[in-house]
Amino acid sequence: MSRLERVSAGADTVLPGRRSNHHIFGLLPWVLLALALLLVFSQVRRPALLVEVWVPWIEVGVLAFVMTAIILTGGIDLSVGSMVALTGMVQAVLWQDWGWSIQAAAGGALLAGALAGGLNGLLVVAGLSPLVATLATMALYRGLAITVAGGDRITGFPQSFLDMGRLLGIPSQFWLAGLVFLGMVLLVHHSRFGRWCFAMGDNRQAARFAAVPVNKVEGVLYTINGLVAASVAVLGAMRHDAAIPDAHIGTELQVIACVVVGGTLITGGRGSVLRSLLGLAVISHLDVGLQFLSSRLVWLTAESRLIAIGILLILVAVWNQRSQKEG
Amino acid sequence: MKNEKPPILQAVNIRRTFPGVVALGGVSLDLFPGEVHALVGENGAGKSTLIKVICGALAPDSGELFFQGREVRWSTPVTARAQGMVTVHQEAELFPTLSVAENMALAAGLPLRRAGLVDWNRVHRQARETVRQIGERIDVRQPASRLSVAHRQMIQVAAAILQNARVVVLDEPTSALSGEEARWLFQQIARLKADGAGILYISHRQEEIFRLADRITVLRDGLKVWTRSRQSAGPEEMIEAMVGRPASTLGAAPSGQEGSPAVKEGPARFQVSGFTDRGDRFRQIDLEAGSGEIVGIYGLVGAGRSEFARAVFGLRPAEGLVRIDGSRRRIDRPREALKAGIAYVPEDRLSQGLCLGLPVRSNAVLSTLRRWTRGLLASRSREQQATRQVAGRLEVRYRSTEQPVQQLSGGNQQKVVLGRWLLAQPRVLILDEPTRGVDVGAKAEIHRHLRHLAREGCAILLISSELPEVLEHSDRMVVFREGEIAGEFDPRRASPAEVAALALPRQRAGEASAAESLSPGSRFQGRSFNELALLLCVAGLGLWLTVSTEGFSLLNLLTHASLWAILGLAAASVIVGRGIDISIGSMVALSAASTAMVLKLPYSAELLIPLAILAGLLAGTAAGVLNAVLALLGGLHPIVVTLGTLTIYRGLVIAMLGGKPMTGLPPEFGRLAIDPATGFRGAVVVAALAVLLVYLWMSHTRSGRHVYALGSAPRAAGLLGLSKSRLWPVTFGLGGLLAGLAGVLQLSMGQQMQARLGAGWELSAIAVAVIGGVSITGGRGTVLGVVLGALLLRLVNSALVRWGVSDQQTDLVVGSLILAALLLDLAWRGWKR
Repeated sequence: MSRLERVSAGADTVLPGRRSNHHIFGLLPWVLLALALLLVFSQVRRPALLVEVWVPWIEVGVLAFVMTAIILTGGIDLSVGSMVALTGMVQAVLWQDWGWSIQAAAGGALLAGALAGGLNGLLVVAGLSPLVATLATMALYRGLAITVAGGDRITGFPQSFLDMGRLLGIPSQFWLAGLVFLGMVLLVHHSRFGRWCFAMGDNRQAARFAAVPVNKVEGVLYTINGLVAASVAVLGAMRHDAAIPDAHIGTELQVIACVVVGGTLITGGRGSVLRSLLGLAVISHLDVGLQFLSSRLVWLTAESRLIAIGILLILVAVWNQRSQKEG
Repeated sequence: MKNEKPPILQAVNIRRTFPGVVALGGVSLDLFPGEVHALVGENGAGKSTLIKVICGALAPDSGELFFQGREVRWSTPVTARAQGMVTVHQEAELFPTLSVAENMALAAGLPLRRAGLVDWNRVHRQARETVRQIGERIDVRQPASRLSVAHRQMIQVAAAILQNARVVVLDEPTSALSGEEARWLFQQIARLKADGAGILYISHRQEEIFRLADRITVLRDGLKVWTRSRQSAGPEEMIEAMVGRPASTLGAAPSGQEGSPAVKEGPARFQVSGFTDRGDRFRQIDLEAGSGEIVGIYGLVGAGRSEFARAVFGLRPAEGLVRIDGSRRRIDRPREALKAGIAYVPEDRLSQGLCLGLPVRSNAVLSTLRRWTRGLLASRSREQQATRQVAGRLEVRYRSTEQPVQQLSGGNQQKVVLGRWLLAQPRVLILDEPTRGVDVGAKAEIHRHLRHLAREGCAILLISSELPEVLEHSDRMVVFREGEIAGEFDPRRASPAEVAALALPRQRAGEASAAESLSPGSRFQGRSFNELALLLCVAGLGLWLTVSTEGFSLLNLLTHASLWAILGLAAASVIVGRGIDISIGSMVALSAASTAMVLKLPYSAELLIPLAILAGLLAGTAAGVLNAVLALLGGLHPIVVTLGTLTIYRGLVIAMLGGKPMTGLPPEFGRLAIDPATGFRGAVVVAALAVLLVYLWMSHTRSGRHVYALGSAPRAAGLLGLSKSRLWPVTFGLGGLLAGLAGVLQLSMGQQMQARLGAGWELSAIAVAVIGGVSITGGRGTVLGVVLGALLLRLVNSALVRWGVSDQQTDLVVGSLILAALLLDLAWRGWKR
């Protein structure tokens, strides 16, 4: 296969499993994943435990699938973590202080998420840099999350609500992740909307000149992000029986890390949702695997895990860059 | 050659290759004093590479360059310029956020005073002199983005003359000039010639070349075809040499020889009446085009024709009536234009036409995606089919529908854009400079297709600033001048001279824009406004708090603000150079941990404290430089790199602490920041010193200004030899150093080192910078602004405490403040426009 064709395969981002794996460099994340998996499963005696350990990473993944689309358009949303915390608090306050039923309160949380995401979208459409605009709302939403209940956590949700935290014995987060993943794959790779996202990320002005409704695309994506953040918050409340105002601090960085390790270009125009799943798999396996190992290996402490993940992030990013560049 | 003098510039056998392409395959060229030497060739022939080598922006692989008889190897264009080798690049090469005066001085190297600081008085004096030379009234302190394109180029030429240049390279200098301005330019060229300077003149315009040039050199495919004197070269020979085949075989579509098809009865296919731009770039345009008709629109750059086209397509707000086939259409956005059957091929293929990284297919079907979906799902195979069909029709040369469009040649790229709109089956097709930068062969093909489309019933508006194109290929033509239709012609009967004369602006275009730029209030525009507003807020809030609050201590406020000012500067110094560092919080912790570790060593405090501080600062600087190095070596976006190092540095901190907070630091160390006995605030003194030094560096040294230039326009900076790889290690290093300083201060004030120290501070640091008016896209922001931003943030916090709002709401305040700052800035910019 000639170099040119390889480049075109790399640029054509629909399904890496189908096209980019011609490229030997593209295999690196898979290899790492396999190694990490080996690490994990050689250590586990009770797989059920594994599922529980994985829930926080699954939440990150749900957010990463939507973030992929946003980054593809050349945007970014730093406020996801804050939106999860805020919508969680909104639900709890609606239920506890306003006397709403827990279902109605969950609906209220989703609405709040859509509003928060919509505001992000509005700011971006108005012409603010997404990085700065969502940096501002990140602080703003966090502040609101702390303010609505005076900084306290709220617990004691009804049992019927907590019972929904599992479906068929599996934490609901997994079901949500499946749903969001499928939805985003369809939206990004198999719809007109997704084609628009790629065009915007590659050259926003040219997209506008080609009659792509750039404002609509951005508005919709950021709103979806708010909605999904709210779903994560509602499911989180079921799981922990608590709404915590300072939950999910730093989640945005983990989310972005998954997207980047997957190989989506941080400047947009190139990438895929499946790749972000890959990124999530690599990072989470490494983290969970090392966590398991650390009970045995004394030197494998929390800090060496952090350092390992940081180094991994940079290495994989460099690798992706090298294998996608040329031309 | 009758010239006895030795050549002033001589390029011998210059070779330069890029990966996969031989841009120059051994080209020689000489230039004598008092000579105008024209360099011509199609796009991609190697002209721009040759200029870049000559002016020092690019090093050749092999070959020699002689300047005034001596062999030279320019290290940067600035050194070349300092010796009298001036290059005026095409449009855009300008730093929009820097002042006009600084733009003029940067290329020659900013003049220095004895202390090594930039001599701003001289910069402004020289600039004013240059502006006087052109006879225009221009405020040299305003940002260059507010100059008209014509002014930008005239200023560069004027600066070259004042600088007593020996060689002047002019790259397409007239592309943005009106007739009057072009005449001015020709006078200046004559003047330079008389002074004995050599002029290398690059242009696509034949009339100019044969009017100005003494000798002509033709390049093709990276090789020199020939160099001849003007007398011995005719226009046809020149084109033949450029294209590589006889001009007669190019098969330009014979104009209107098929005759325009009889215009159908009834309403015109396309009609606008009373069409007026909201931004006043054109007024009261009445124009119609029938089915099958090609209407040529001729006008100089800036006459309002492109704005007119964009407004018709819904990209600019305008008032007036648009009728398609007699029915009235409201068009506020491109999608509505598309529905109405209007298509628009924009003037700048690369920035407006194509998504270069995406495949041919994605580009071709971008505007008609709905037609290729199956149900709700997009179908790649149907998209490919459509692409192949339209590409076949337009004879696009490509290898695969999945090939990135950037690999195609200019002409084929343009056909892809055209093909995109053919797929939309438009009733009205507007083309804005459809053959600019397209080689002669593809040009003829595009013209043939236009004629074909017209025959199928499309109404075509062909906009061009090349008179022959309009004359040859349209059935009817109108001339745009200063936003109005100045006249209408039958292209078969019109004389070119008559049309060209009509297109010339009556009033000098420069005067209108000069008047604009001197409108009242221009003094307070931009950053000074921002700082003024901040200052008022800070003063007002500070005064109110002092008066109304008992026990409010200005000193306490300053102490806290010190830390934030330093952090804000850390973020700002990186952002101004178009970087970003989100590992600031971890670097703060890293430096504090290093300091604490040294302090814990079993020696006397007097010995340890200086060492400890040094260790902290070093750790921060090293971390910052490492960020830059990783970003540069890995070719990564700095967000990605610092996202990684954010984790790594934090991990290192935890490892250094061994899981426990560090306490029991020597009390002498604590007294450095705040001495409770004497009330002395070391923190404030240190911060003031840091602010002063950073200010001096950023505003008064060459390297500091180079950082601004890089952030303002990286491409233009590259032409001056400024690159990320040279400047980022400095800016990121400075950011790290300042973060380190903040870490040491925080440790001294807090007297305790714990693992979470500084977590999340990167965002507050960026917030301070943004509130202080630093533009996140680089090139804009001042130290004073950042300091005011830090003060404002602290004051608002104190005010909240005064109002009884709890300390926890800091986030809320920070967030609202950034938003307010951003929205104000946005509103201000919008209002100014």
